[in-house]
Amino acid sequence: MVEAVKRALNRISVEQIKLELLGTAYNSSSTFLGRLDPRMLLIWYLFFAVTPWFVYNRTILLGMFVFMVVTTVLSRVSPYIVFILCLGLVSQIGWMFLLSLFFGGGAESLLPMLTLTLKLSVISLASITVFSSLDPERLSDGLSALGVPDAFAFSLSYGYRILPTLLEEFHQILLSFRLRGQRPLKHGFLYMRTAAYYLRILVLVFYPLMLNTAKRSRTTVEALETRGYTYAVNNPQVKKLRLSYLVMQRRDWLFAAFSAVYVGLLFPLGTVFPNLIY
Amino acid sequence: MDKVALELKNVSFTYPGAEVPVLQEVSFSLKKGDFVAVIGSNGSGKSTLCKCFNGLIPHYYTGDFEGEVMLLGESAEGKSVSELSRHIGYVYQDFENQLVRPTVMDDVCFTPLNYGLLDYRERGMRALELTGLHGMGREFIWQLSGGQKHLLALAGALAMDPDILVIDEPVAQLDPQHARQIYDILRRLNEQHGKTVVVIEHHAEFIAEYCRTVVLMDAGRLRWQKPVREALSSVDELLSLSIYPPDVTRAAWLLQPDRQTAAVYPLSSEEGQRCFTRRLSLSDIQETLAQPQIKDLHSTPSEVKPVVEMEHIRLSYRTIHKTLHPVLNGISLELFSGERVALIGNNGAGKSSLMKLIAGITAPTGGTVKVKGITVNGLPPERLAGIASYVFQNPEDMFIDDSVRGEIAYYLKARGLKDKDERVEAMLEAFRLQELAGRDARLLSGGQQRRVSLAIGAAVRPVVMLLDEPTANLDISTKQEMTRVLQALRGHVETVVIATHDMALVAEWASRIIVMSEGRILADGNKEEIFSDGQLLRRAGLAETQLMEMSRLLELPQICCSLEEFVARSEWRKEELVHGGSR
Repeated sequence: MVEAVKRALNRISVEQIKLELLGTAYNSSSTFLGRLDPRMLLIWYLFFAVTPWFVYNRTILLGMFVFMVVTTVLSRVSPYIVFILCLGLVSQIGWMFLLSLFFGGGAESLLPMLTLTLKLSVISLASITVFSSLDPERLSDGLSALGVPDAFAFSLSYGYRILPTLLEEFHQILLSFRLRGQRPLKHGFLYMRTAAYYLRILVLVFYPLMLNTAKRSRTTVEALETRGYTYAVNNPQVKKLRLSYLVMQRRDWLFAAFSAVYVGLLFPLGTVFPNLIY
Repeated sequence: MDKVALELKNVSFTYPGAEVPVLQEVSFSLKKGDFVAVIGSNGSGKSTLCKCFNGLIPHYYTGDFEGEVMLLGESAEGKSVSELSRHIGYVYQDFENQLVRPTVMDDVCFTPLNYGLLDYRERGMRALELTGLHGMGREFIWQLSGGQKHLLALAGALAMDPDILVIDEPVAQLDPQHARQIYDILRRLNEQHGKTVVVIEHHAEFIAEYCRTVVLMDAGRLRWQKPVREALSSVDELLSLSIYPPDVTRAAWLLQPDRQTAAVYPLSSEEGQRCFTRRLSLSDIQETLAQPQIKDLHSTPSEVKPVVEMEHIRLSYRTIHKTLHPVLNGISLELFSGERVALIGNNGAGKSSLMKLIAGITAPTGGTVKVKGITVNGLPPERLAGIASYVFQNPEDMFIDDSVRGEIAYYLKARGLKDKDERVEAMLEAFRLQELAGRDARLLSGGQQRRVSLAIGAAVRPVVMLLDEPTANLDISTKQEMTRVLQALRGHVETVVIATHDMALVAEWASRIIVMSEGRILADGNKEEIFSDGQLLRRAGLAETQLMEMSRLLELPQICCSLEEFVARSEWRKEELVHGGSR
């Protein structure tokens, strides 16, 4: 067991995490959903993130869930993320079920929880679909077009740009800690000592990282000034030019129309058969 | 040609909270189409001067500002940084932090787009073309090499088609080949596209070759503005400010019998060739004296067990396209006690990778690495910490404590060593850090940071110490100091390995030189063997120092590594004085 974990850890390198992360973040324009207009996708998301909270009809929720599964498949989400999501949902239900058993509940307490799970799944899948279909650039532009302050939209895209640099620096500093540190000589019970050692330096790394970042951002802020950023923020014309590439096309309208019709049909169907599944 | 692009009239500036002004009554005029180098020691106000050009001072840095700045005949007063930046492109020394967009194309278009210029794409494309980055538009910033990032920062400035380009230390972070590439591009922009170029530069050899005018800053004052030859010939004045003119110029100055102040000296090796001649009588004696001494340094008895053994080392890593990229291709190497090894080669030759293998930071894909008989492959770095210590290229990556003393003590404390206090004190003394012991290392100057990083490495008392580019980003006088600091390592460490492309450092310091190229060892030998083969350095993408080139051109019996040696072996040819002012 320990050996297996060791081998798995050895295979994960910082470089690899970096590539995987950025690959997921920026490599979305190849999917159908990735080519849709970001503004439309964001509004679409807003609907599916909010409505499930107010719907208690399980048929409607199930219908939405099916739709979300289809879009998730369409957006070719990395299996890791789906796995993490499932893990989260199952463990959520698991501990709540245990808790209900503890207070004298039985198998019947599972059903209402299933409704909640359904809601959560719809919302989570919608988030995954949208955010894996929008690379940070298009997300930032979409938000900006929908009226979110430019400074926020820009920092979002800049955050992603700086991520690899931060990861690399994190790795370097972590290495410095390890190169000059002393691993516990004995692993301790259940590797507790070793685990504590690693967790401790993982936390400590953030301090130098933050200080270095603060130092670095001095140049960035100054450079933004010389590169006309302030001029752009105070000039609505510039925003128009920057976002001029966002155009609603046929496929955007089609997707929006299909979603509307689908949801529109779900509601009467749900009212007629409220107990389609259980 | 004689039109003035920019003029400063009696400009003084004091940073808020500072007592002493950083600029004092500076008057300066920048001619259109000029290629200017701003020189001066650290803290003399070079960067501050350049930040007045585009209004960063006084608009961004508010402080006490007096005087007037005229840009293209108009007063800059009341104009914002954004407005002024339309005409002035600024490339920072830490250029990486000025790239704010994820892809090359996005970044190069960023400035013109911000100004709402409709043709921002064409401007971006043109700028990429000018800097030789065309065809890379879709690449992500983090996939670029250091040299490419610098070119991109330059392209980002060029996209606005500015009249003036300001570049802060263009070559500090680049290897000689890329440095030359950047300067060639700057020259083309200057000569063919009529851009006015201002560089802040420490490297006198680049100034001599590319610039036309030199501005000397000293303690916030502009001391003078002179044509390049006249400027660099003021050898004693420059030396007194710890600025080092080209070696050839200094040699000429040393050999000139009646050091006239008005004389002009040769600046390049070609000019030097006409001015110097081989010293016949004296050199023969010195040669016989020098030879055996050098021999001694290199003799490594074969029965001694090597400190580092590498056998058929291979290393490759995975790229973003999921292919394997080979970095080291079958390297076998032995390093012995007492050696001062220089690993040289251009960027990407595999120098750092080789050192990381020895320090146990990376594990080889094939072959074995042994340090002091311990097989290193894949050992956790903690296990090897007392044997090999690795000093990063960027000292900031090594700073994990909040004071210099804490940094040095970290390792000793982690091991709970009894003599840790004495060892820390000894290190502070050896690297002259006593006065800085309580300061946060991140806030020190480049040279001081480098000393701290060396002290951290040496405090471990490792068998092998591995230094990655210890002289990168340092000005020349700090570099000279580094050579002395490296000598201080001797007592603490058995073997020192340095990866560098600084040939002057190699020439002065190394006892064994290993030339690498594309993951292989091209040559391995002592100074004489390596430097006498001019082709070899070029094949490895390296540049000779002026002294090496001169020694070869003058057919001296031996390649000279230090100025003193060269001066002892050559003579000033009286009849050939350099005439004419500008080149």
